[in-house]
Amino acid sequence: MRVIVHDLGEQYNALLKNKCDELICADGKYAPCQGCFGCWTKTPEKCFIKDMLREACRVIGNADELILITQNCYGAYSPAVKNILDRSIGLSTPLSTYRAKQMHHTLRYGKHELLSVIAYGDITEAEKATFELMVQRNAVNFGFIKSKFHWSDDIEKLEEIL
Amino acid sequence: MKTVMINASPKKKMSVSSYFLFLQRLFVGGKVIKEKLRNKGDHKRLLETVSEADSIVFCLPLYVDGVPSHVLMFLKELEQYCRENSLDLNVYVISNGGFIEGNQNRVLMQVFENFCNRSGINWCGGIGIGGGVMLNVMRIMFFIYFGIFLLNIISGSSLQDALIYLAKQWGIILFFNIGVLFYNIGMGTAISRGRRFGVKFTRAMMPSFLFIIVADIFFILISIFKGGIFRGWLKGSSKKSL
Ligand SMILES: Cc1cc2nc3c(=O)[nH]c(=O)nc-3n(C[C@H](O)[C@H](O)[C@H](O)COP(=O)(O)O)c2cc1C
Repeated sequence: MRVIVHDLGEQYNALLKNKCDELICADGKYAPCQGCFGCWTKTPEKCFIKDMLREACRVIGNADELILITQNCYGAYSPAVKNILDRSIGLSTPLSTYRAKQMHHTLRYGKHELLSVIAYGDITEAEKATFELMVQRNAVNFGFIKSKFHWSDDIEKLEEIL
Repeated sequence: MKTVMINASPKKKMSVSSYFLFLQRLFVGGKVIKEKLRNKGDHKRLLETVSEADSIVFCLPLYVDGVPSHVLMFLKELEQYCRENSLDLNVYVISNGGFIEGNQNRVLMQVFENFCNRSGINWCGGIGIGGGVMLNVMRIMFFIYFGIFLLNIISGSSLQDALIYLAKQWGIILFFNIGVLFYNIGMGTAISRGRRFGVKFTRAMMPSFLFIIVADIFFILISIFKGGIFRGWLKGSSKKSL
């Protein structure tokens, strides 16, 4: 399954829908994670907050290929996209293991193929380096075998990149 | 010197960040204001507080190898505010993750550095801590051992014996915190003097394989208590849409 998460606004939904099996528009109309770990210890795979991200971990967790399209924010994701990742930690279990020689959680849905991140908006060299490192780390954390980071100064070329 | 210390954990109480904020507070001189950043409602008040400060210390959790989304949201507002008002601020960060390796906080530190550069304020560094949850749980042990110490005295053991017992138990707990305390002292001095500290990583003083066993037991107990263990604890369903 190919999943796309983007913060480009609803007007891009039609274009992106053709490119994936599941599309999540990061419009920010949801609450941030409260850090309770309830999606592990109380109601596995479910957040106690009843909004559209309640079971987001199932979609992200079942993705073979996950594409995140995000505005650059200091070498990190935009708050709206990061919110979705924060609310998806139910894709791991509470038990721990080693991955890439560091401690991580075991994966509820097993390994995934590819995490690709497409960042847009003005970016510095330092921010690019931060972003690249973070995408590699996120891939390990969420159990993606491969990862790609791509920066684009012209989001209109998105179709080519995809 | 006026320092604002911001606990940016979304949790209402007993957050790990509040523990590290408490420890860091012990070593910061001058006027200190404690603040909280839990949601958008805090932004306006925080901007006003920060505008009169010399330094800010962010205490926050590591979320998915980076800065939690509600904090990113605030940083964007703060960037704009700093540039509009040409603020001159020193920024320090104490971040903690659940995993044992302190250097898992590296990306988070870089994001704060990038944020400072864009905002025209001074990145002064921070402490990235691994195994934060465990150190936070252990703070309860300080009180438990103090209770036992009092019981010992009441039940007639000599003050000297009771004190030795207390010192030994507290010493063991302090040992796990020793890296954090060491850097807290260094960073406290830097904050008080308005200097740069640099980025340091430390952890709960324990080998990682032991830490993993302790963490697993911790989550098993909590999941029994909260009931998740009986509700498909490790299973993944195949439902694939929001
Ligand atoms: C959504 C979420 C994501 C997390 N991601 C990480 C992570 O990538 N690495 C890590 O070491 N800990 C991670 N943690 C664990 C937290 O950093 C840890 O529980 C922290 O001590 C919480 O601090 P607080 O109590 O001050 O909020 C995560 C926790 C949550 C809720």
